Amino acid sequence: MGGGEKPELMINGKRLDGRMPDQLRSIKIESGVIKNAVGSAYIEWGNNKIIAAVYGPKEALPKHVQDPERAIIKCRYTMAPFSSLEEHGRSGPNRRSTEISKVTKEVFENVIMLEKFPGSEIDIFVEVLQGDGGTRAAGITAAAVAVAASGIPMTDIPYAVSFGKVGDTVILDLNKIEDNYSDADMPVAISPRTGDILLLQMDGTLSKDDVKAGMDMVYRAAEVITKVQRDALKAPYEKISERYTK
Amino acid sequence: MQRIVVPGERLHDKPIRIDNTITDNNGTYSCILGYFDDQSKSLIPLEGLWLPKSGDTVVGIVEEDRGTTFTINLNAPYRGLIIARFIETDIRARDVIIASIKELEKDGTAILVRPKRLEGGKMISVKPSKIPRIIGKANTMVKQITDNTGTSLIIGLNGIIWLKGGNVDLATKAILQIEEEAHTSGLTDRIREMLEANKV
Repeated sequence: MGGGEKPELMINGKRLDGRMPDQLRSIKIESGVIKNAVGSAYIEWGNNKIIAAVYGPKEALPKHVQDPERAIIKCRYTMAPFSSLEEHGRSGPNRRSTEISKVTKEVFENVIMLEKFPGSEIDIFVEVLQGDGGTRAAGITAAAVAVAASGIPMTDIPYAVSFGKVGDTVILDLNKIEDNYSDADMPVAISPRTGDILLLQMDGTLSKDDVKAGMDMVYRAAEVITKVQRDALKAPYEKISERYTK
Repeated sequence: MQRIVVPGERLHDKPIRIDNTITDNNGTYSCILGYFDDQSKSLIPLEGLWLPKSGDTVVGIVEEDRGTTFTINLNAPYRGLIIARFIETDIRARDVIIASIKELEKDGTAILVRPKRLEGGKMISVKPSKIPRIIGKANTMVKQITDNTGTSLIIGLNGIIWLKGGNVDLATKAILQIEEEAHTSGLTDRIREMLEANKV
């Protein structure tokens, strides 16, 4: 929560950037942007610009971290020093990025079929180039595409989006200024096939009804986000196929 | 009809048994990025790494000579192991070998038998999921490449291909084109045309 004077976030039922309360920012994903990685994706979610890359499965090192029953996931979320208006200084891990790395890892532990690669590790990197609120959600959405593009078997492609509350209105997909000055925000990651909740964090206060209304919006957003993710995965192959089908 | 499917995408409205899928009461869903054929109900992976299976032929590099055993880098999360007293060939560290997998240990290490040293030549690595396409139905694709270039090919299922003799550059070009276009139809004919056009 930001300090100081609180700006007016809703004007005539519309948000500062002209969106309706339940409207997402525009989302664009490109798969296969990093050739060295096994799978990668670049996402532009509003003003967020994030690259995700996946390496592995490979032999887990050091050896004592190996799990003989399943693969382990290592996840590293970082914000570039130039990524936002706030001071991010050196881009090394800090309290916030360590937390987001952990929750991102836990999202993927629930969808990747880890038991297929005992003793190995899968590395997921999320690098925020430009941040404008909701980077953890956008990072998970991009990393999901990167994991799927790597061919690692997974039960579903998860997506994430946040919702929050401004005054009496529940709003979907908060940007930076809404994130700082809203009454609450709640990032959620969902497995769209089953509707399972893979991530749920909250900052601020929400009533039971607010959460219900917000979760409804989150589930409705699946239609848009999942389609963008799937199209991004199919695009590189369809581009090659198109060369020969006239 | 064939189509590209992604993880979580419904393939069939009843639970049926297909490789790389999961099922629930309402249907069958893909677990991988793959190519699905509605008629034959087959799901072919487009990406993904190779996991050792007994009987697979692999090409690898001898990593370390431990006296009684050799460890082999197989371009996979698991290593290969050759037990020195079971072999007759003289192999050393950094040799390129072809061998077949006898069995798998509990930790995933592949026990290799019948190693053969590959001398000279060139090695390229491709996505292991594209190897079946490079070999082709009843070896048609690989035969076409060797016939047109005079290169002898040794294909490891782990995604490493060893080439020697003849027009190696043309053979490499053909293999890389197959890797890129593996999911398209009419590929055999296009590769043949390409090989014949570039033949000297």
